[in-house]
Amino acid sequence: MKRTYEEINRKIEAKDAVVMTAEEVLELIASKGIEKATKEVDVVTTGTFGAMCSSGAFLNFGHSEPPIKMQHISLNGVAAYGGLAAVDTYIGATELRNDEDMSYGGAHVIEELVAGKAVHLKANSYCSDCYPRKEIDTFISLKTINQAYLYNPRNIYQNYGLATNSSDKTLYTYMGKLLPHYGNVTYSSAGQLSPLLNDPLLRTIGIGTRIFMGGGIGYVAWEGTQYKTTTPTKNGVPVGAARSLALIGDLRGMSPEFVRALNFQKYGLSLGLGIGVPIPILDEEMMKCVSIRDDQIYAPLLDYSVASRNRKPIKDISYADLRSGCIELYGKQVRTSSLSSYYKARIIAGRLKKWIEAGEFTLTQAVAPLPKERSQKPLEVMSKEDVI
Amino acid sequence: MAKRKFQLSFTPDLVNEPITYRMVKDYDLQINILRAEVNDVGGKMLIEMQGKADMIKKSVEYLKESKVEVRELKAYVKKDEDRCTHCGACISICPVEAMCMDQETKMVHYLPEKCIACGTCIDACPPAAIAFKI
Repeated sequence: MKRTYEEINRKIEAKDAVVMTAEEVLELIASKGIEKATKEVDVVTTGTFGAMCSSGAFLNFGHSEPPIKMQHISLNGVAAYGGLAAVDTYIGATELRNDEDMSYGGAHVIEELVAGKAVHLKANSYCSDCYPRKEIDTFISLKTINQAYLYNPRNIYQNYGLATNSSDKTLYTYMGKLLPHYGNVTYSSAGQLSPLLNDPLLRTIGIGTRIFMGGGIGYVAWEGTQYKTTTPTKNGVPVGAARSLALIGDLRGMSPEFVRALNFQKYGLSLGLGIGVPIPILDEEMMKCVSIRDDQIYAPLLDYSVASRNRKPIKDISYADLRSGCIELYGKQVRTSSLSSYYKARIIAGRLKKWIEAGEFTLTQAVAPLPKERSQKPLEVMSKEDVI
Repeated sequence: MAKRKFQLSFTPDLVNEPITYRMVKDYDLQINILRAEVNDVGGKMLIEMQGKADMIKKSVEYLKESKVEVRELKAYVKKDEDRCTHCGACISICPVEAMCMDQETKMVHYLPEKCIACGTCIDACPPAAIAFKI
């Protein structure tokens, strides 16, 4: 059986669409099989809530009187980019307020803006005939400024490597606190609820796809940075980091419930962001894609005490085993920790499901597909001649 | 059988007093020392007493008479439920499994009765939802 986007959207508008989360649909598939499940369900919703470091916000402050071309800009003491037009800026999530105190930075500014709080803006400039003002010291909020939107170059990685530590000291990493002597294992994918694992070849996700982003609405803007299609697969899904998406979405409408500053002690900052993607069940093939379960999704375990881009995986472990709280490593039981919240991932998939059921969220067909083939290049130190 | 946890603080002159011995001998208690620090300004000990409820009470009186500062610990860290995202980063680093994941709801729960106030979870919490309780 086949279904078109138009048919699905007509049903959504009539509040007649059958929607299930990627978790709920597993039970239906187990009891009725792919064929019947395909006939019954129009849309499957996915969700993830995790650390998404490559995130940040574009802001336009409006012009002061007299006007200023902002050159050096800070928001609550955190540096924002001053190389755009006069009163445009970009504030990155990982920017620190200062190098000694890693506890506050761009992610906190973004969370506070979303929460409706006042943010302290300071800027200075060289003067020009167009922009005679030298400096400005004022407060802004989402109420006072013009455009404010997240533009995140790399979000919702399709799977990610697991972390452990063979050394004799605790490591503080972006994969959390790693205890010595393989003391724990951390992981970061929402597994069976994760958006890009439910449509592994991105058949229905492309440029222009409308999504749940931070509690509001967002869109897929581009392929994510470090997007690659070369990762080995098992059960049809990549084992380790593969595709990623660049996302864009209005800060207005987002909620601090799904936009949260994260501080990885002694490593740095990140932005905890909630993303949900609807998967249209166009045919049985799509239903097969969303039938993926945690026991079928694997990720490679990497030793973070090896500070190299060429870490050799110790072994592949399934998300079902990781979620049990304990895995076996070298004959020893090792406890596991998730860094992405399955609890929130579930809420996001559920929220998106409600929006669709209520006729408030229709599906979009991508305006252009994302790359079918892409490999990731390393950075080498080379001469001017070598790089041409 | 009752089980309670206390933080004992004592001045340098009390360091040589065999207080744990007295608690075992005179009050028939099982003493589990969870943490101990002694330096030139005195010492701090985190202990769990197990025994008859009235004996625990009496031993606390004995400690107070001996000028040991006694503070019962019912919960050592505080989890801010609004900031907690229930990711689970705290779970695998807790040495006594005082942070646990409810496999049904996927929420992280703090079990104060297991906590030994080591503080390991505090800097492992990305949204900074955990702090020492003062």
